[in-house]
Amino acid sequence: MQVKSLLLAGGALLVASSGAQASGFQVGLTGAKNVGMGGTGTGLYLDQASQFFNPGAFAFAPTGFQVGGNMAIPRISFRPAGADQGQRTLQNTNVFPFSGFVGFGPKEGKWRIGAGVYTPFGSELHYQQGWEGRYSLTDINLRSVFGQVTAAYAITPQFSVGGGVTTLLYGDVDLQRDIPVQAQGSAAPTHAQLTGTADHKVGYNIGVMFKPSDKLSAGLSYRSAVDAHVGDGDVKLTGLPASAAGSFTATKFDVTLPLPDVYSFGVGVRPNDRLTLAFDANLVGWSRYQSLNFTYTNGVLGGNAASSSKRQYEDALAFRLGGQYKFGENFTLRAGTFYDMACVRDGFVTPETPDAARIGVTAGFSYEFAKRFGLDASFLFEDFMKRSQSQDDLISNGTADRVAGTYKTTIAVPGVQLYVKF
Amino acid sequence: MTTLFFAKTARPALALLGLGVGLAGCQSDIAAPTASPGSLDFTSYVAVGNSLTSGYTDGGLFNDGQATSYPALLAQQFAKTGKGPASFVQPAFSSAKKDGSGYIKLQVVNNALAPVQPTAANSYLGEQVARTGAVLPGGDQLEAYSGAQPDNLGVPGISVLSSVSALTGGLVPYGVINPFYERLLTPAEKPTKDYVTYIGQKAPTFFTCWMGNNDVLAYAAAGGVVAPTNPFGGLTDTTRFGIGYRAILTTMTKNGTVKGAVANIPNVTSVPYFNTVTVAAVLASYKAAGLPISNIYVQALNAAGTATAARVATATDLLTLTAQAYIAGHPGVGTSPTNAIPSDYVLDPVEATNVTNRTTQLNAIIAKTALRFKLPVVDANSFLTGVANAGVYTNGVNNTATFASGNFFGLDGVHPSPRGYAIIANEWIRVINAYYGSTIPTVNANDYRGVLLP
Repeated sequence: MQVKSLLLAGGALLVASSGAQASGFQVGLTGAKNVGMGGTGTGLYLDQASQFFNPGAFAFAPTGFQVGGNMAIPRISFRPAGADQGQRTLQNTNVFPFSGFVGFGPKEGKWRIGAGVYTPFGSELHYQQGWEGRYSLTDINLRSVFGQVTAAYAITPQFSVGGGVTTLLYGDVDLQRDIPVQAQGSAAPTHAQLTGTADHKVGYNIGVMFKPSDKLSAGLSYRSAVDAHVGDGDVKLTGLPASAAGSFTATKFDVTLPLPDVYSFGVGVRPNDRLTLAFDANLVGWSRYQSLNFTYTNGVLGGNAASSSKRQYEDALAFRLGGQYKFGENFTLRAGTFYDMACVRDGFVTPETPDAARIGVTAGFSYEFAKRFGLDASFLFEDFMKRSQSQDDLISNGTADRVAGTYKTTIAVPGVQLYVKF
Repeated sequence: MTTLFFAKTARPALALLGLGVGLAGCQSDIAAPTASPGSLDFTSYVAVGNSLTSGYTDGGLFNDGQATSYPALLAQQFAKTGKGPASFVQPAFSSAKKDGSGYIKLQVVNNALAPVQPTAANSYLGEQVARTGAVLPGGDQLEAYSGAQPDNLGVPGISVLSSVSALTGGLVPYGVINPFYERLLTPAEKPTKDYVTYIGQKAPTFFTCWMGNNDVLAYAAAGGVVAPTNPFGGLTDTTRFGIGYRAILTTMTKNGTVKGAVANIPNVTSVPYFNTVTVAAVLASYKAAGLPISNIYVQALNAAGTATAARVATATDLLTLTAQAYIAGHPGVGTSPTNAIPSDYVLDPVEATNVTNRTTQLNAIIAKTALRFKLPVVDANSFLTGVANAGVYTNGVNNTATFASGNFFGLDGVHPSPRGYAIIANEWIRVINAYYGSTIPTVNANDYRGVLLP
């Protein structure tokens, strides 16, 4: 009931999730059919979402229009190492990643052109009031919307290529934490909020598909890295003691968040007309993200004109397996699973991305309720490995700006998508 | 791993049937660690010690400070094992006089932050002090404490030497000298009952003892100057320290039958009290005021250990935190050999070495005595040296030995802030857990304040 009303309310369609379905703060919730099949898609040509997974495969995809949304329901728990005053949980907020694509081209032709918007990165977390990590982070809301235009061409009936130009259409960040400076007569420390919107940045994706027969297809794709840059963000401080004002004069900040590139390989197998099986492997270039550096303008924050916090992410692999089975003309069932490795090293876990290796299971169905019109539904559940770090780990890594303790995350994501075939 | 995987696989299918909401409602739980006392019994926990044990901070003893003393925090954490004290009695002041002896506040003075002492002249900064108006040799008399004998037996100022009256031939009864001790005793007890007798009245099941700091601190804090009127102002000799320390542990362990833990003496020269006002900073401020000088002069021992009328100060001469107010009140002091900074405000290298060497000797006695009574030692000396060198992190926050902004030490520059005491409580817990095999949970030190700014 709750799910339904929230989805219908869907005005809050701007992105974000808590790293649902992919390492780091990636959001792997593009295309409900793909989500239902464990996030596979590089070796498939199911629908318009091919533009995102493999623009090469787009040449073989049917033309049409589709739009869908998800509700990501994260559940993150934290227990501090040592000072245990009970488990801390998120002030649970649900977030709504979405995607929409349109594709045109001759029905049996060799080319396709298309466009889409989707939300590949984001994170929104609001930790419990007064939690142990309040001086690292109390709240984060990181949102991004990408747009893409795509062209694909089947050079032969067996081989196609495609490419897209991607743009960071909209991105914003809202980071909040407490600062260990407290005024006389005040029960709470100073609180800092950094907000800003990102510059528009252009990237690309390319892909090829090889389809020796109707029973087998294989694809390779690459999506470029993009640096999300906030050049003129606002610094807002509350509860700052007057005598400390001289150390907190900054009003603006500049930060760059490197977003990774992704290499994907996928295979699709169709033993018969009803059954499709798919396998995908992704290599996500998170190692670009070595540190989070803020530069403050018009003054200093905590006496410093800049700050740097170690991230040292590692490239992460993900393996995905999915399948669909078509019952009759109108109904298709899907299932999938994936294993996604952590990009955050041991002893580097931060509250804004409590990353861990994770296993996901997915399911979905499609129902074509009228000629050319249909609905795709998906459900994803993922279970993060419990992840702990000690204060000694943090000190030896030089990462004591975050908290020692144990994180445990699960995420459930129902999603729905409508499509029309041209 | 496999079971986990299959356990979850059933759920998405259910979700497709519209049951997703139920699944989404389930929290990802992390099992709580156990809090066990091991073989320990905290039913009656008693803390013996000096100002550090009493919760003295910001240059004063007051109810809020007592509430965040490390023994109070230990009692609170011991209770979480299920074997803890039902109550932990502290010698609090009456609520109308909750600010006790009064405490230092940071105020903006001449456009700069300065620690301001509560005095009669400034109406005690508006604090509700418990001073009676009478004066004892050790300071203003304080409101008497009339409740049951406290479990926190910390007495600011007490040393091992002053704990056992036999060590000074019974000639200087501490109960009529020290206002913090005097207020705990009945009029009849004041001239007769020494501290070791007083603490022997308790029957603890577990105790902590952190004594010895004032056997070196009084000398150091006065810049190595021993006031002739103060029998406890010097460095306590090792013989009498050993006798006194054994007497205290014999009393508290009831001849080795009661379990507990002890802490040793920190290196007092690493506290902000000796590292905030520097010779270079004093020189720079005089230069900034336009004085054409290139040296600061102090009355201090020379390298040979001989007292001098005045000599040029070097970076190794540690000025006390109180020198700041003295210099402000005596413009020009230190600028010439005839107007040198008095010895009371200077801990010179010879004196500092005396303090450090004696601390090392006394800590050896503490270690040996603790071993004899089978008690673990909290190595406060190396722990606080670590704080002085690199600070100590608590949940993402570094707490350092920098005066005021470091948050570890309070505004007197010697005693920890409530945050610092919470960190020290965690160190006690770590040592107790390691020695006795208990799993007492630590506290979130960030829940306790550091230094409050105006």
